[in-house]
Amino acid sequence: MTVSPVGREVARVDGRLKVTGAARYSGDYPATNMSYAHVVTSTVARGTIRSIDTAAALAAPGVLRVYAAGDGRLRLYPLAPEFSFFGENYIPLQDTTVRYYGQIIAVVVAESVEQARDAAALITVAYDAQPPRASLADGPREPSGPTSSGELSSVTVLAPGVASIDEALAASEVVVEADFEQPVQHHAAMEPHTVLAEWDGDRVTVHAGAQMPTPFTILLGQRLGVLPQQVRLIGRYVGGGFGARVIVWSEAPLAAAAARELGRPVKLALTREQMFTLVGHRPHLTQRVRLGASRNGVLSAISHESVAERPAAGGWNMLPGESTSDTLYNTPNLRIKPQWVILDMPGSWAMRAPDEAPGAFALETAMDELAVATGVDPVELRLRNYATVSPSTGRPWSSKHLDECYRDGARRFGWSARSARPRARVDGEWLFGTGMSSAAYPAARQAASVRIRLLDDDTAVVSTGTSDLGTGAWTMVAVAGADALGLPLERVTPEIGDSALPPGAPAVGSGATHSTVPAVVAAARDTIDALKQLAVTHSGSPWHGANAKDLRYKQGRLHGNGRSMTFGKLLRALGSRGVDATASEPAGAPSGYTFHTFGAHFCEVRVNRFTREIRVTRFTTVVDAGRIINARAARSQIVGGVIFGISGALLEENHLERDTGRLAASTLADYLVPVNADIPDIDVHLLDRPDPHLTGPLGEDGGEVGTRSLGARGLGEIGTVGSAAAVGNAVFNATGIRIRKLPITLDKLL
Amino acid sequence: MRAYTFTQARSVREAHSRAGAHTAFLAGGTTLVDLMKLDVMAPAHVVDINGLPLRGVTLDRRGLHVGALERMSDVAANPTVRRHYPVIARALELSASAQLRNMASIGGNLLQRTRCGYFRDVATACNKREPGSGCSALTGWNRGHAILGTSDDCAATHPSDLAVALVVLGTDVHLASARGTRTVPLDGFYTLPGTTPHVENVLRPGELITGITVPRSAWAAHSTYLKIRDRQSYEFALASAAVALEMRGDTITKARIAVGGMGTRPWRLPAVERALTGHRATEATYEAAVRHAASGSKTLEHNAFKPALLRRTLVRALTALEEQR
Repeated sequence: MTVSPVGREVARVDGRLKVTGAARYSGDYPATNMSYAHVVTSTVARGTIRSIDTAAALAAPGVLRVYAAGDGRLRLYPLAPEFSFFGENYIPLQDTTVRYYGQIIAVVVAESVEQARDAAALITVAYDAQPPRASLADGPREPSGPTSSGELSSVTVLAPGVASIDEALAASEVVVEADFEQPVQHHAAMEPHTVLAEWDGDRVTVHAGAQMPTPFTILLGQRLGVLPQQVRLIGRYVGGGFGARVIVWSEAPLAAAAARELGRPVKLALTREQMFTLVGHRPHLTQRVRLGASRNGVLSAISHESVAERPAAGGWNMLPGESTSDTLYNTPNLRIKPQWVILDMPGSWAMRAPDEAPGAFALETAMDELAVATGVDPVELRLRNYATVSPSTGRPWSSKHLDECYRDGARRFGWSARSARPRARVDGEWLFGTGMSSAAYPAARQAASVRIRLLDDDTAVVSTGTSDLGTGAWTMVAVAGADALGLPLERVTPEIGDSALPPGAPAVGSGATHSTVPAVVAAARDTIDALKQLAVTHSGSPWHGANAKDLRYKQGRLHGNGRSMTFGKLLRALGSRGVDATASEPAGAPSGYTFHTFGAHFCEVRVNRFTREIRVTRFTTVVDAGRIINARAARSQIVGGVIFGISGALLEENHLERDTGRLAASTLADYLVPVNADIPDIDVHLLDRPDPHLTGPLGEDGGEVGTRSLGARGLGEIGTVGSAAAVGNAVFNATGIRIRKLPITLDKLL
Repeated sequence: MRAYTFTQARSVREAHSRAGAHTAFLAGGTTLVDLMKLDVMAPAHVVDINGLPLRGVTLDRRGLHVGALERMSDVAANPTVRRHYPVIARALELSASAQLRNMASIGGNLLQRTRCGYFRDVATACNKREPGSGCSALTGWNRGHAILGTSDDCAATHPSDLAVALVVLGTDVHLASARGTRTVPLDGFYTLPGTTPHVENVLRPGELITGITVPRSAWAAHSTYLKIRDRQSYEFALASAAVALEMRGDTITKARIAVGGMGTRPWRLPAVERALTGHRATEATYEAAVRHAASGSKTLEHNAFKPALLRRTLVRALTALEEQR
């Protein structure tokens, strides 16, 4: 009897390859006659290039080409209007305009990496510079709509007879009003963006990390002026995405265009410094949250306004009230109003829980302030305002067990031992405090196609063009395939990270797993049908001429008419290598419901009573993400997400220089992320309650196909939502000091 | 990185013969190679001095002798150092990362360059890197910058933890050049930036640090090093303090205090030392003594917190030292 691996502690199927160095990342691929590119970036934030002197670089040893802004030697094209959101709004090197500090203005290609880099240092540039727009406070504000539905992204819900959110607030017994600020944050993936482009005639193969392999070929194809089917993207192993590998930035088009012009393979790796300006960041933003409530903490109004940076070169449209203030609490009056300020700074993009993490920091800190103002315990306050339907749409959730997350988390953490009074617990020179917060993240299913092949050696290959950013997608595909086919995990071979495979789920929006699984189930059903058809139609088959309806598939074997045989044995008997089928599942989910993953965070910090360093000492997170596919990978994702949150709460900051538009940090020595010593053991509990409305094509009963993997929602980002607020709320409980400007560093507590 | 010649010296004399205006000595390489990659330093000639006999950690009547080429990790692990000079071991262990400590030398540590982000970015103005070009830090991001010993031309912080500890202990630095050898106190080795921030010490062209001597003292064994930073390891100090006390009963008879992360060089605080001397070792004494610790400091837009942090770091270090006793 084969036991389904779903929900168990499954080690990564690619773990051994990674720890032995056998897994090939983009930069690890060789090519015959390789050349190497190095990019040169601008050192002003706004203006035009008067001249670029490339003579010394061209004369340097090993240099093959120097392409400079405006020289027209590399042919690149705009994105089609319907795709323009997925890229910066200019074409690299096609003009002499400088849009931000750190923009690519030249590319050097040489016989070696070192020669390209050394020659790049010889290029000198003269600018006609203008003062950059570099301050969120100074610029004119613009509304951040419209959304895809054509509506402005503002939300207003008012109770009957209430004229405005201000009126609702004015009528409230208790009002909390708080202003928040968050600096530029960076994805800072461990693997710098690296691309190898190699042409064969009019087709190009690109090795690069991509969160969306199929869209990558469309976007890169548009930049190159070729069709998507002329572009093949291979990115089997990726050293982190976090949103920085969703769209096509400049490096891949430039490498591919240079390879085309030069007639040789080109490898281009960004340096760590260049990663800070060329592959996006989480935008700088300010938020104002106003909560109106009764004296016993029942909310009557939520107002959530934001002003976020919008780079002139294009970028992410910050909507921090979405899935936070429009989701978490029951309120009769709701106002969400996002705005932008156009700044001359590097292109921004979604970064792990792009809107939800900053939005939840503001809302969940304000909720803690409401708990203090009303004297209601923070957990109890959230239960008193528990939403059973979406406050903005009125729709119920497909599945919501957030109340259980609060109660389980409080019990595991020992919340009841807490004193609401700040500075109540002192141990030696350390002040201890605890805080909590809620989390929600949308669970939108994306379209995905999966091909399953049953082979004559009794193994199965499950293929889909999704991407594993380090998240565990390789293992997820194997687990889902093993469950659907009733095979032991080791007899299932996953195939992902290649645009030549059936179009897979994009690894964005915490969606890869719960988008892929239904398509695996559908493909298993279709492949089993194809196997039965082969069995009854092939003249060499013992079931030749039988009715396919009389055959049953179970755990790798066909049964029927008194016979039983493994699919491998059947295939061998027929001289067939294998049988396969491909199935696709559409995006979307049953209408009439709202889909979210939920969670609750509990955090303990200690703060030094002299010097105010903040150290996180305990952290508990309970998550309701529907069905859990791989308990180990799921826990690891939550741990990583929480570390992201702690990091954003306490460390991460890139200062935008007002006068120059330069981002001050460009190394991991200056842009701080935590070291191991900064992170305690993180206690993660997963409720593992399958979502009854996300059961996919076969419902809960798949007949012969395993369906234990259905009913999942995503969990890649939920750990980052709200965790910074839990840290900040704990800091308040420890010190009595409320910090609303991230990161919460010791200087703010002195 | 620019092209350069590379040679290995087998003796101090040979190293001197190779010395010149465009020559850099290579020990651990953790600063030099890093800055050469960034084009901040571009020597025409690099002379590897790792073959020189500048090794050894020994203790005698005069004190602790450490060869300039001893690795930070080896000195930190040395039982003699740990027993008699705990402040040195502590400062070393709180520096950099294990990998860097395995490579970096004691002489090189004393000569490491500032971590100012503008010094390290050749696209920006920096008087230390390029005299006369200006100082981007004064109007830029200067949260980590110095508040003591700064000038209108430079506010870069001296980065070494070890130097702060050694200054407290009255360490001598031994230097050698083609003209002979000399010894200078470490406290006088570093110069203030003034109008010449590119000059950081009294080393003459071609001169080498051959070793250090840390004198014997009663306070050396009663000393500690405290380092304050945003994350728990692998970061330079926002503030640090090396404190050493000589006690009679509960009374402080002699105090030695230096701070890091605050000055353009390791910064002694003689006024705080005087204010502690003759008083009982209590938190109230410390609070009173550090009241004027940051007098004369000059803050910038983002480091206005540093005077307060300096005072609190000192009180915490003194309290911790007293609790160790």
